[in-house]
Amino acid sequence: MISMVTNGFQLLLNYIVSIIVCIVVALALKLPLVPEKPVRNSWTNSAIYPTPIFAMGILAIFFSFNIYWIYDGLALAVIIGILSALFVKYFFYYIFPNPAENDSIDGGDES
Amino acid sequence: MNMIIGLIIATVVSWLNFVIVDTYLGLPESPGVKGAENVGYSIKKRGGDLSGGFFQGNILCSPDASAGTLLASIGVYILGVQGGLIAALLVFIGNRLCADNGYAGVVGSLTMTAIVFAFSFVGISPEMFICGMVIAIFTIQGIYHPASTKLLGRIAKAFGRYTDYE
Repeated sequence: MISMVTNGFQLLLNYIVSIIVCIVVALALKLPLVPEKPVRNSWTNSAIYPTPIFAMGILAIFFSFNIYWIYDGLALAVIIGILSALFVKYFFYYIFPNPAENDSIDGGDES
Repeated sequence: MNMIIGLIIATVVSWLNFVIVDTYLGLPESPGVKGAENVGYSIKKRGGDLSGGFFQGNILCSPDASAGTLLASIGVYILGVQGGLIAALLVFIGNRLCADNGYAGVVGSLTMTAIVFAFSFVGISPEMFICGMVIAIFTIQGIYHPASTKLLGRIAKAFGRYTDYE
């Protein structure tokens, strides 16, 4: 179902709901809340990074195509929040390389 | 707003955004990949600063806040604030595929999305930020590496992010 949402407040609410849902689900899946310190050198997936980045980005893609589904996008926000947390917990390293498995971070070109 | 004035402001804001975010998140500290290390030592050999060289190498080898700033501006220009959020996701994906954990790129995209949105109320449009960011990157990467890396090295020292490499 496609409908138009013109209310900026509703859009903001959808993003906030999606972020909260993905963080709560990520915590329930035993992901840490924040990466270990120093955060800038950490490769650990956590509830606040990168889970909400996926939730916001994918939700923005749906909304950009004017796909809001029911409840003016709220249901979509919840579903994408849950799926983002599941993806980061279980499927992340099927798609992205894990440098922690390598001996160095000098990239994959070295023999 | 006058286009030239808007462009100058957009260039300065973009420059500050990507240099501050990249420096704070540790780009001048160490090279993330072998290519960044080569760039850093090459610039040092030509009279530049090693820490600034690592900064240049890192923004060259993976999409950090510089790319995030540019892509967020383009995203907001095309799709509004939602375009900035999509840009942050794309930058993150690009980062992870380039052996980078992606903090600088994602933070840079999100801060730039907020900045472009805020400045749209005072008449500075996203296209000015796109052009401004290209000019900002040109001042760092395109004019004279020894001078620009010395400036970046000084900023890194001020942020406590100077490299331990020699």
